[in-house]
Amino acid sequence: MAVRTIAPDIYSVGAVDWELRLFDALIGTPQGTSYNAFLVIGQEKTALIDTVEPRFEEDLLKNLMRIGISSLDYIVINHAEQDHSGTLPLLLEMFPGATAVTNEKCKDLLVHLLQVPEHRIKTVKDGETLDLGGKTLEFMITPWVHWPETMITFEREQGVLFSCDLFGSHLATSELFVRDFTDVIGPAKRYYAEIMMPFAASVRGAMEKIADRDVRVIAPSHGPFYDDPSLIMDAYAEWSSDRVKNLVLLPYVSMHGSTRKMVSVFTDALIEGGVEVRPFDLTSSDLGEIAMTAVDAATIVIAAPTVLFGPHPAAFHAAYVLSALRPKTRYVSIIGSYGWGGKTVQNLTDTLSHIGAELIDPVYIRGYPKSEDLTALRNLADTIVKKHEGVITRP
Amino acid sequence: MEKYRCMICGHVYDPAKGEPKQNIPPETDFADIPDDWTCPVCGASRDKFRAVA
Ligand SMILES: Cc1cc2nc3c(=O)[nH]c(=O)nc-3n(C[C@H](O)[C@H](O)[C@H](O)COP(=O)(O)O)c2cc1C
Repeated sequence: MAVRTIAPDIYSVGAVDWELRLFDALIGTPQGTSYNAFLVIGQEKTALIDTVEPRFEEDLLKNLMRIGISSLDYIVINHAEQDHSGTLPLLLEMFPGATAVTNEKCKDLLVHLLQVPEHRIKTVKDGETLDLGGKTLEFMITPWVHWPETMITFEREQGVLFSCDLFGSHLATSELFVRDFTDVIGPAKRYYAEIMMPFAASVRGAMEKIADRDVRVIAPSHGPFYDDPSLIMDAYAEWSSDRVKNLVLLPYVSMHGSTRKMVSVFTDALIEGGVEVRPFDLTSSDLGEIAMTAVDAATIVIAAPTVLFGPHPAAFHAAYVLSALRPKTRYVSIIGSYGWGGKTVQNLTDTLSHIGAELIDPVYIRGYPKSEDLTALRNLADTIVKKHEGVITRP
Repeated sequence: MEKYRCMICGHVYDPAKGEPKQNIPPETDFADIPDDWTCPVCGASRDKFRAVA
């Protein structure tokens, strides 16, 4: 990515990864991503804030050369994860006078994950500042706004918040600032679902911390920046709240059509009851979209046949990922079909228990659904309709 | 004695079991756990735990 000016003497110097389609070898990134890094030039000192994924180190170095940087005083590391800090060892070699600046916890991780020499790291505490000469960097320690050591950095004079993974999106774009939020809200929500949702309580804490600062620009470490911070802050307030929507997330898999038939009848019954439903065939769906739907869903129902005494592995995988993402979902249930026996319901119940939602009695049947099975499914849909009436706050 | 859940990773502290690997014996109330104790799963500090409703 070319060098771009965010504010006077504050530059974006990171890289765009147009081609990435799978992040962390785990969840799809259909629109690529970016690894944002920033240069803040004060009258006395120059600081780089964050680095880039090591595969893109050349982009960062070229950008520093274009600006004519021959020395760096500080390299602020908000987060020890390699897609942010991975170029730090190289930069410390290239700039022998530079000091890495981070918090105590992050220092410990940098030493272990990247073998950064301890004596090159200066640690800061929550609220501590660094004066670059006319530019003051304030550090806010925001543990568990992704990892235990995460922090964010606020440049006071121009009001630029370098928010690290908070408010990020996996979106490769040539635009510096978000101009049309309808293009960005999808990727931003997907990012929230995958990265921030397990830490919703910590996200709310960080938002409170930021609230009394005069934030004029939000510059996250992935995706475009916001010169109207309220766009993303309002979206985050909604996503991280405990409000749920009248929506059922229904990931399913079926080998021989029995579970598929159940899903079809159950979907219709929910629609007739006035509940929005999103079935996802797990053999062809993107886990990111399932996670995004989980951000709002009042209920998750997993539909799976039994395979070798347990749930079909695709359903287990989805249940496992959803339980790890810990959505605010209030109710969970299980439907599906088996042939002779197994522990599918037990296994999925145990996995989903992590979400902390109420389990509604599963409808787990033998073989192809008979008329009494279809009645049981309609009853399950009715139960969900009634339960939702109690938890959905209508606008 | 109430169970406590870690807000970060979801680990549940069960006073009936204690935390055998951390030298917290069974029948230890959450209130009696030392301040510097951390979650055995994710390392979160003690203040990240909430009583299970
Ligand atoms: C999405 C994600 C979540 C992680 N969660 C944890 C965690 O909960 N606890 C931990 O100690 N490390 C966690 N890590 C860190 C990795 O275990 C660590 O970076 C490891 O060295 C990665 O090794 P590898 O990339 O060679 O497989 C996480 C890493 C990623 C990418």
